[in-house]
Amino acid sequence: IQSNLSRAIFCKMLYQRFIEVGRVCYIRIGDHTGKICTVVDLVDQKHLLVDGPTSGVPRCVLRLNQVSLTDLKIDIPRGCKSKKVRSELTKEDINAKFLATSLSKKAEGKKSKALLGDFGRFKLRVSKTTLNRK
Amino acid sequence: AVVSTQSGHYGRGFKCAELKEFQIVGKPLSKTNEKTPIYKMRIFAPDEVVAKSRFWYFLRQLKKVRKVNGEILRLTEVSEKSPTKIKNFGIWVRYDSRSGSHNMYREYRDVMTTGAVTQCYRDMAARHRARAHSIQIMKVAEVKASDCRRSTVQQMHNSKIKFPLPHRILKYNKKSIFVAERPSTMQ
Repeated sequence: IQSNLSRAIFCKMLYQRFIEVGRVCYIRIGDHTGKICTVVDLVDQKHLLVDGPTSGVPRCVLRLNQVSLTDLKIDIPRGCKSKKVRSELTKEDINAKFLATSLSKKAEGKKSKALLGDFGRFKLRVSKTTLNRK
Repeated sequence: AVVSTQSGHYGRGFKCAELKEFQIVGKPLSKTNEKTPIYKMRIFAPDEVVAKSRFWYFLRQLKKVRKVNGEILRLTEVSEKSPTKIKNFGIWVRYDSRSGSHNMYREYRDVMTTGAVTQCYRDMAARHRARAHSIQIMKVAEVKASDCRRSTVQQMHNSKIKFPLPHRILKYNKKSIFVAERPSTMQ
């Protein structure tokens, strides 16, 4: 019994991000790449009904692999209306909280790296080598 | 409507692209000016051309009407009433296997009726090797959660549903096919 209990506690700590109603997700692939959305309902094991009223994502169905989970979660009833999702998102200020996450920062970094240009990439390489030489 | 060249017609059947729902109303023509019965059908097809074809295919089987002796009064595409509400669909299918004809009841969870029917065709092809031309959709109905019979659909009826993504493997960048350390699969 003791080992089962400890195993249960361990399992609870092992997975921290769940696919659940209210989970804030980052869209990796598809029409709304780069935006965040909230899981409103689950269609099946591979599809989510998702809504992002504060980030410009209409209520739509996304595949699980289009989406990346964040640590953020809001408290909404299953299948609730966009208005309720919007009010909860603004109450928790999810947009600001998301910008503070490492996922958002990495995405920003990737975007700015893509806009560098040849001279920018040269400067980056030079600064990297000087840093590594120190 | 412009006929889509993408939905190819292979021999007898119709190629099952993303389906649309059509309501088709047709009637046999009368030689004398007497009233003839009017028939309405709910057809799932990739486009209008295939929809009309299937309408005559079914009507010919059920009634003594042929395309030559009949006319289509109305063909309208039916759009989904609630495209952002998840529903459970029960689909009654009749299909020809290699050794006979069978009836089936299948359940799918989707946001649109056409989505569920498309899932059904894909599923039938996968599980029973049934091609689109040998499948007949007899009835499609939205089913209440309490009336669902299939466990794969019932398992999503948990109001507090929650699951992690253990050992998540996303499509890796081809550049990092060889790495120094084992990549983390925590989501």
